[in-house]
Amino acid sequence: MIIRRLFAAGLLSAAVLWAVPSFAGVDEGKKTFDANKCALCHQVQGPAKEKTIKDQLAKKGPELWYAGSKFKSGFLEKWLASPQPIRPLAYNSVTDRNRGDHPKLSAKDASNVAAYLMSLKSPEVKSLGIAASESPKGRIIFLKKQSCYGCHSMRVRGKMAGGLSGPSFIGAFERLNPDWVYSYLKNPKAFKPVKMMPVYSGILNEAEIKELASYVGSLN
Amino acid sequence: MRVKWFSLSIITFAFVLSAGASVASGEAVEDLYRFHCAQCHGLKGMGDGPNATREMPVSPRDHTSAVEMNKLTDADIINAITEGGPATSKSSLMPPYGKTLSKAEISSLKDYLRKLCNCKGK
Repeated sequence: MIIRRLFAAGLLSAAVLWAVPSFAGVDEGKKTFDANKCALCHQVQGPAKEKTIKDQLAKKGPELWYAGSKFKSGFLEKWLASPQPIRPLAYNSVTDRNRGDHPKLSAKDASNVAAYLMSLKSPEVKSLGIAASESPKGRIIFLKKQSCYGCHSMRVRGKMAGGLSGPSFIGAFERLNPDWVYSYLKNPKAFKPVKMMPVYSGILNEAEIKELASYVGSLN
Repeated sequence: MRVKWFSLSIITFAFVLSAGASVASGEAVEDLYRFHCAQCHGLKGMGDGPNATREMPVSPRDHTSAVEMNKLTDADIINAITEGGPATSKSSLMPPYGKTLSKAEISSLKDYLRKLCNCKGK
C-alpha cells in the first residue's frame, strides 16, 4: 500500500515538474530576450504601427509579436540554437545578401526564448485547421497564376530556385503554420501594414487563399 | 523689385513641387519605386533587381530602355501595374499592385517610368 502511495506521489510530482517548466520557460525566455536586447531588431508588441515606407525601413528585423501564431511548434527552438538564413537578402534590402550572422543561443536559452515567443499570439489568426498539402490548385496559383516563386525561393529537384527578395519557402513545412499563411494573405495589413509583397486579398478569392496557404505550408 | 520677388516665389514653389514629388499617400514616387519595383527591376530600373535570377523564364523590363518602353502606351503601364503582367499579355511574374497602391500612386509611378526611359510611349 505504502509503495503504491509513494508511486502515485512520485507520478504526481513528475507531472507537476513536467508542467511547471512550460510556464517557467516563457518567463525565463522573456528575461533572456530582454537581456540580449533582441527587441532592438524584433518588435514583440502588437499591433503593427508602421504607416509609411520609412517606418518599415526603420525596422531591423522581422516583427515577432505574432510569432506564436506564425511558427510551428518546435521550429523556433531549433532555429535559435542553430540559425540559418530564412531570407536570402538582408532584411529590408534589395542589394545586400543575408550574412547569416544572427546570434546563436545555447540549447537552454533557445528553448526558453522559443517558449516565450510562441506565447505571443495574434487574435487575427483563427485556428482553421488548414492542413499543409501539395494541393494542385495551390501549386497552379504559386507557379502559374501569381508566380509567387518570382520572390520566394523553393526547392526544385533538390536545388534552390526562385527569386530572392522574399523569405525562402525552403523548409516552410517545418516553419509556417498554414492558418497563419491564410490570415496573412487574407488581411496582411494586420501583420505588416507596409510591405514589399503585393496585397492579394481581393485578387485571390477565399478558396484560392486557402489552397495557396495549404500549398505554401507544404513546401520543404 | 516686387516683380522679382514674385518670380522668385513662383520658381521656388515650382521647384518644391517637382523635387521630391509625392502622391496623396505622402510617399515620394522614388521611394515607392525603390520599395516595390526595385526587387525585380533594380534600383535604377535597369531590369537587374535581385529577383532577376538566371533561371527565371523572363527578365524584368528595363525601364531605362526607350526602345522597350516605347512599345507601351501609358494605359498599358497603368494596367500592368494594377492588374499584373497578364493584363498586357505578359508574364505573371509581374504581380498586380491594384490592391496595394492607390490610383494616384500608380499614375505617379507611370510618370516616373516615363522619366526613366525618357520616352513618351506609343
